[in-house]
Amino acid sequence: MTLTLHHAPDFASTIVRFALEELELPHTLAIVDIDGGALASPEFRQVNPVGLIPALETDDGPMFETAAILLWLVDRTGRLGPGPTDPDRGAFLSWLFFTSNALHQAALAMFYPHRPAGEANTDAARAAAQEQIVARLGLMEAMLAAQAPRWLSPDHPGVLGYYIGVLVRWLILLPPAPYGIRLDDFPHLKAVLAAHEARPAALRIAASDGLGPTPFTNPGT
Amino acid sequence: MTLTLYHCPDWGSQVIRLALEELGLDYRIRPMDWDAGDFDAPGFRAANPQGLIPVLETPEGPVFETAAILLWLNARHGGLGPGIDEPEAAAFLSWLFFVANTVHPGVMALIHPERPAGPGAAEETGRFALERLMVQADHLEALIRTRAPLWLTPQQPGLGHYLGILIRWAVYLPEDPGQRFSLDPFPALKAMLAAHEATPAARRLAVTDGLGAHPYTAPEAA
Repeated sequence: MTLTLHHAPDFASTIVRFALEELELPHTLAIVDIDGGALASPEFRQVNPVGLIPALETDDGPMFETAAILLWLVDRTGRLGPGPTDPDRGAFLSWLFFTSNALHQAALAMFYPHRPAGEANTDAARAAAQEQIVARLGLMEAMLAAQAPRWLSPDHPGVLGYYIGVLVRWLILLPPAPYGIRLDDFPHLKAVLAAHEARPAALRIAASDGLGPTPFTNPGT
Repeated sequence: MTLTLYHCPDWGSQVIRLALEELGLDYRIRPMDWDAGDFDAPGFRAANPQGLIPVLETPEGPVFETAAILLWLNARHGGLGPGIDEPEAAAFLSWLFFVANTVHPGVMALIHPERPAGPGAAEETGRFALERLMVQADHLEALIRTRAPLWLTPQQPGLGHYLGILIRWAVYLPEDPGQRFSLDPFPALKAMLAAHEATPAARRLAVTDGLGAHPYTAPEAA
C-alpha cells in the first residue's frame, strides 16, 4: 500500500497522521503550504476537488474528508475500529458520523464564525456554536459513562479517539473568552483522550508536529 | 432480521426508507409525530440521544445518522454503494462524508436560516448557504461529468437518493423564493437525480409518502 498524506501540522490532517502512525503504515508526507495558496492550486484540486486537507493518495485513488479516510483505514487494516461484521459496527458508525457532521461542524463554526452569516454576525454564530459544542460533548460523555465502548476507550486505541482528541485540543486552545470548553466537565472523555495522547505513536506525532507533550488534555503547554 | 425505521415522510428518514425499499428488505415503520412529543420520549432518546431521525433499530441495537445507516446497510446487504474491499470505496466514502458533513448541514442552514446565527442573521445565513450549495453542486456536477461513478447511478442508489432528498428540500422548502436552489445550471446532476426518482422503489415511496411525481427534479409542497 503506497500512501501520500497531504498535510500541514495541527490542521485536520494531523488526525490522519495519528492514525497512520498508530497503524505503523509507511507513508509519504506532502507538506501543504496553506498560506501560499497551495489548496487552490490545480495540482491539489486534482487530488481533492473540494480543496481541503486532509487528502490521502492511495493505490485506489485519492481520498479526502477526515472521517472517510479514518474509516477506510479501519476497513483496510482491520484495526482501530470495529469491522463491517462486528456487532459494534452500527454504534461506531453512528458516533463517527456524529463527530464528523455535528461536533466537527460546530467546531468549525466556532473557529470561522464569519462563515455562517458574515462578519457582522460572528458573535451570534459563536454563541450558537458554543451551545452546540457543549451539548454534543455532553452526549458523548453520557454515552461513554453508560456504554464504555471498546471503540472509544482508554484501554484500546481507536481512530475516533484521535479524531475527538484533535477537535478537543482546538476547542480548548482557539475560542476567545468566554467561549471554549473545560475538559474536566467531561471526565470519561478526558480519560479516553489522556490514554490516546500517551501512546508511543501519539508522542511521536506530537513531537514531530509540535503539539506539546499533552496535545489533547492540556494543549498549549 | 427485524429492522424498524423511525420515520416521518419527507424527513431525513426518507433517505433510509428509500434504501430499504431499493434493497427489498423487510422492515417496519415506527411513525414519529413531532407534535405528540415522540422526539422527546425517553425510549426514543435511548435509541438516539440527539433526538433526531433517522434511527434504524437493528438486532444489534440502534443505528443513527443517515450516512451511518446507509453504510451499515451496504456492508450487511450490499447494493447501495461499492463494497468495502472494492477500489471505488475510497472515492465513495470521500463523497459520502462530504455530502453528510457539508452539503447536508448547508441545506439545513438554507431551510432553517434562523438557526446558525440567530433570527437576526437569517437573511445573510440563507444567502451564504445558497452560495455555498451552488459551489458544492458544481463539484458534484464535475464529478458526474468526469468520472460518472457507478455509485451515483440507480445500480448503487444509496448516495443518489440521499442527494435527491437534500436537493428536493433546497428547491422547495426555503420560504423566500429568491433563496431557492435550482438544478437548471447542473444538467448532469439533474439527470442523475431524474434516474433515481424513476426507480420502481422510488416511485412506490413517492406515492406512499406523498412526495409527488418528480420528488427530486420538480418537487412541490405535498
